[in-house]
Amino acid sequence: MTASAPEPLLALSNVDTFYGQAQVHFGLSITVARGHIVCLLGGNASGKSTTMKIILGLVKPRSGEVTFDGASLLGLSTPQIVRRGIASVPEARRLFADMSVRENILMGAFVRNDREAIAQDLDKMLTLFPKLGQRLSQRAGSLSGGEQQMVAMARALMSRPRMIVMDEPTMGLSPLYVDRVLELIRTINQEGVSVFMVEQNASLALEIAHEAYVLQTGKIVLSGPARALKDDPRVRDAYLGGSEAA
Amino acid sequence: MSSWLDYTINGLIVGNVYALVAVGLALIFGVSRLINFAQGSIYLVGAYIGWVAVVQLHTPLPLTIIVVAVAAAIVGLIIERFGLRPLQNSVRIAPLLATIGISFVLDQLVMLTFSPNPRALPSQLPEVRFQVGNGTIGPLDLLIAGVGITSALLLFVFLRYSKLGWAVRAASQDRDAAMQMGVDVNRVNQAVFGIAAALGGVSGMLVGMYYNQIDTAMSLQATLKGVVAEVVGGAGNVPGAVIGSLLLGLVESYGVAVFGTSYRNLFAFLLLVVVLVLRPNGLFASARQAPPEPLTGTFIAPSRPVRIPRWALAVAAAGFAILPLFPVSFYVLQTLINAWLLGMLALSLTLVAGTIGQVSLGHAALLAIGAYTSALLSLTLNVPVGLAVIGGGLMSAALGTLLISPSFRLRGHYVSIATLAIGEIVSLVILNWESVTRGPIGISGIPPLSLFGYDLISPTPIYWFSFAVMVVLALLQGRLLTSHLGRSFRAIRDDDIAARAYGLSLNRYKSLAFIFGGFAAGVSGGIAAHLYSYINHETFNTQQSILALTVVILGGLGNVVGAILGSVALVGLPEVFRIAAEYRILIYGIVLLLLVRFRPQGLLGTM
Amino acid sequence: MAEQLNSMLSLRGLTRRFGGLTAVDAIDLDLAKGGLVSIIGPNGAGKTTLFNLVTGIDRPDAGTVHFEGQDITGLSPERLAAAGIARTFQLGRVFGNLSVMDNVLIGAHTRLRAVKPAVPAIGPLLELGLALLRPASVQAEEERLREEVKAILARFGERLLPRIDQPAYSLSYANRRRVEIARALALQPRLLLLDEPTAGMNPTETSEMQALVAELNAEGLTILLIEHKLEMVMRLSDRVIVMDEGKKIAEGSGEDVRSDPKVIEAYLGHGLSGTTEQESAA
Repeated sequence: MTASAPEPLLALSNVDTFYGQAQVHFGLSITVARGHIVCLLGGNASGKSTTMKIILGLVKPRSGEVTFDGASLLGLSTPQIVRRGIASVPEARRLFADMSVRENILMGAFVRNDREAIAQDLDKMLTLFPKLGQRLSQRAGSLSGGEQQMVAMARALMSRPRMIVMDEPTMGLSPLYVDRVLELIRTINQEGVSVFMVEQNASLALEIAHEAYVLQTGKIVLSGPARALKDDPRVRDAYLGGSEAA
Repeated sequence: MSSWLDYTINGLIVGNVYALVAVGLALIFGVSRLINFAQGSIYLVGAYIGWVAVVQLHTPLPLTIIVVAVAAAIVGLIIERFGLRPLQNSVRIAPLLATIGISFVLDQLVMLTFSPNPRALPSQLPEVRFQVGNGTIGPLDLLIAGVGITSALLLFVFLRYSKLGWAVRAASQDRDAAMQMGVDVNRVNQAVFGIAAALGGVSGMLVGMYYNQIDTAMSLQATLKGVVAEVVGGAGNVPGAVIGSLLLGLVESYGVAVFGTSYRNLFAFLLLVVVLVLRPNGLFASARQAPPEPLTGTFIAPSRPVRIPRWALAVAAAGFAILPLFPVSFYVLQTLINAWLLGMLALSLTLVAGTIGQVSLGHAALLAIGAYTSALLSLTLNVPVGLAVIGGGLMSAALGTLLISPSFRLRGHYVSIATLAIGEIVSLVILNWESVTRGPIGISGIPPLSLFGYDLISPTPIYWFSFAVMVVLALLQGRLLTSHLGRSFRAIRDDDIAARAYGLSLNRYKSLAFIFGGFAAGVSGGIAAHLYSYINHETFNTQQSILALTVVILGGLGNVVGAILGSVALVGLPEVFRIAAEYRILIYGIVLLLLVRFRPQGLLGTM
Repeated sequence: MAEQLNSMLSLRGLTRRFGGLTAVDAIDLDLAKGGLVSIIGPNGAGKTTLFNLVTGIDRPDAGTVHFEGQDITGLSPERLAAAGIARTFQLGRVFGNLSVMDNVLIGAHTRLRAVKPAVPAIGPLLELGLALLRPASVQAEEERLREEVKAILARFGERLLPRIDQPAYSLSYANRRRVEIARALALQPRLLLLDEPTAGMNPTETSEMQALVAELNAEGLTILLIEHKLEMVMRLSDRVIVMDEGKKIAEGSGEDVRSDPKVIEAYLGHGLSGTTEQESAA
């Protein structure tokens, strides 16, 4: 389906994952092409977040292969994977609530040691997310959900990643921020960062994605270019139990 | 008579010492959500390394402090690397049990190396006192204050301005998110254990100098005091731990001023129980937190218990019953009597810790209550011994449950801390309530076991008696487990929130578990009292609580047959292999560690 | 108000704050006896927190909960279970080490009578004694409940019955959800709260679950449902409540809600306008 796409940056092939005795993934295969936005759709408990955790090395699959830029990620620890160039925007933001906004953003540059460039990047983040400028010394936990999402995205960008994985970036946000977040994802992508995002909100995700996969009880039931899937009634049939987006 | 200012100074100085321990506990809790029960052992190690440096190597004071800090830090790093890191992905009970095991191993190693006798640890500072108002202060007081303040400053700078310090803070707020920023959590853990151990070790050395005495009993006390201070300040809250420590130091010091020295610890533990019950998140915790949503079954590992056919159990029981008819030595019978007594305690603990998931570290207190009750009933009221033992069981069931009830609201590690403290409180009350318990003198001349007017003096009838009692208790407990109570207990253990949502009252069922278990433990203590004929407040100590816990883990949590098998193994095998008594506790600690690491479900599996 | 009198569950101004975040913000809700009301909304909208407030797992900062006319605000979950409120959990909180049978028997706990006599003060001790002695009445009760559990499990066809003695940790995700629902039914609830009963289920399993919920509702059970699968919600509910950021942003029949622009904006996403037209046409 993505045969014509450029060489994949990230590839999961035939991944089986278990939590105890319960199987979460059944032969999962996903590819993210260089420079693309790929979106993984699915209902709650379909295995979406676990896919994120597999990529980040937080959960180890029982079998299958995960490669990034041609090299296997299996056997690497999460910090090692981050050093390879994958940053993340976790579900529900997961900021360091008692640290300041500035400290949170700078934590994103933890794997870097080039102090001056880090300072420049911080300035860049403040142009990209102007609202955060006035909030730098506030406790991150005191921000609104939308502002926290901005911090989480700035934090992820600070590592100068080649790819960002995002877990439900629009969850719990007001419409205004949803727009803003989607726009930012596009901007980030246009600067050359590949994006792999997990979303429940199919219509939103399909707006900005290049390709999409639909996950249902741990199996990919549908995949293809986002434009094609957008009007495909099977998307809704497949994972919303035959209804519209939820 | 010292002045109030003296008591205040003393309280703040002691508080500084506690702070050095508590800050380490808070750092570790922050990063690992673990209460490090081995922190006191590192403090003990620090004190003894200080003694070696001062008395044998004659190092100057600044060098002594550095030597102690470095050596203790190395011990901390070893604990982290070999004791806890392998358990990273285990269920939550595993690291809890591991730090308990490590603590026992370290304490025993120190005891075996240096003997249990107290030693003097000179402070190397001039013996002068300066007059301050109507109190006095000495150079050692200033040193302790100086070390405390310097450590706090260094720690602040480290956490605030160093990259590793940022990693520690990030990891303690959200471990997974920190990993996703590239933070190597293993390095953070190393840093935290190293710092905690260095501070704890220096603290032990300073305390040794302050009282000019060190001994191996310091360890448990330090763990308890550090934990009290940390919990008062709010688990994982570093500044809170400092304030909690100073507060604890003052409370103790004023308590001593009013009531006398023997009440010092009683105040500390009462403070702990009060804080745990009223403000389990510490004095400084902000408003109500979101209710925690643990995934099911994460406290103990799921496993399928080994099913032993009934006929096999019957054959084994019959075999043990007719054993005295064969020409076996009294020594063998004596050993098995000890195993049966331990078996009763293990039955009690496996119900409480295994079936309903309350890992009690104060179970020896139930033995003590049963023993004192039975001894006093038979001695002062001339109650027949058989009835007195039952009375001991009933008293242990009632009083034990009442005492432990404040901890029913708690979970996981907190239950262990609370029961440990409650166990210490019982021991302190026995020590101080002289009019009833005869205080430190203990009770002597306790009449021997007797049944229907016949004294049981020789090993054979005692063997039969204790075996029969244990078998009856085991059968009753087996029956309990197959009743609706068995499944209710296990449901509460697996998920107390879901259990409550289906109408199970935690107070009611935890009480019933402690009543049933308390009776078995009290009977065991009662029988022991009549066998020993002399008991005092130290007869039933934490070592027995830990031994029972090791038995329970060995047999399989909640497993009745496992508890008995574990008792026979842990009492019998050291005899078979003729292991000297002083090495046994070391071996129990090592067995506990190996089990947690390699066979967490025990021999027969969790029920 | 007639509706109020009839109402089984009625929430007024229910509010819960966590730090700066208002997870549940002044929610009003009425659920008539025998009715089925669904709560929908994006993840993080406060739906599960609302369930926690109704079932006593968490206490509200403001507002009231009335159940069958009685103020039950802030009562403990044990008392609410005894009053006839049962729930399932979003994360699937089965008792991992208990067998399927024992899991569901726990659901019937509030209905134990013979072994749990309502005697003040010494009640718990009597319960301990009866559990050990097990007179005929206790045995009969236990036997009756076991039969009942089997009947409940039979509602799930062959999904659970063959696994009745297996520990719950060994079950698939979907089967754990079924065990949760079976456990809730064993309470013989007057009000059942279902938190995403079809999460992690494929379409076949989902439609099975939908049929079961419809059947339960038809048998007269009052149900409050959190669900993401809108078709199921539309088919089952008398009324739908939409939550976003802790607030109720819309309420009405499935059709009303589906065409409410606010709902489309906040919940379904504005990119969907085209799709919505299709849906409406369909």
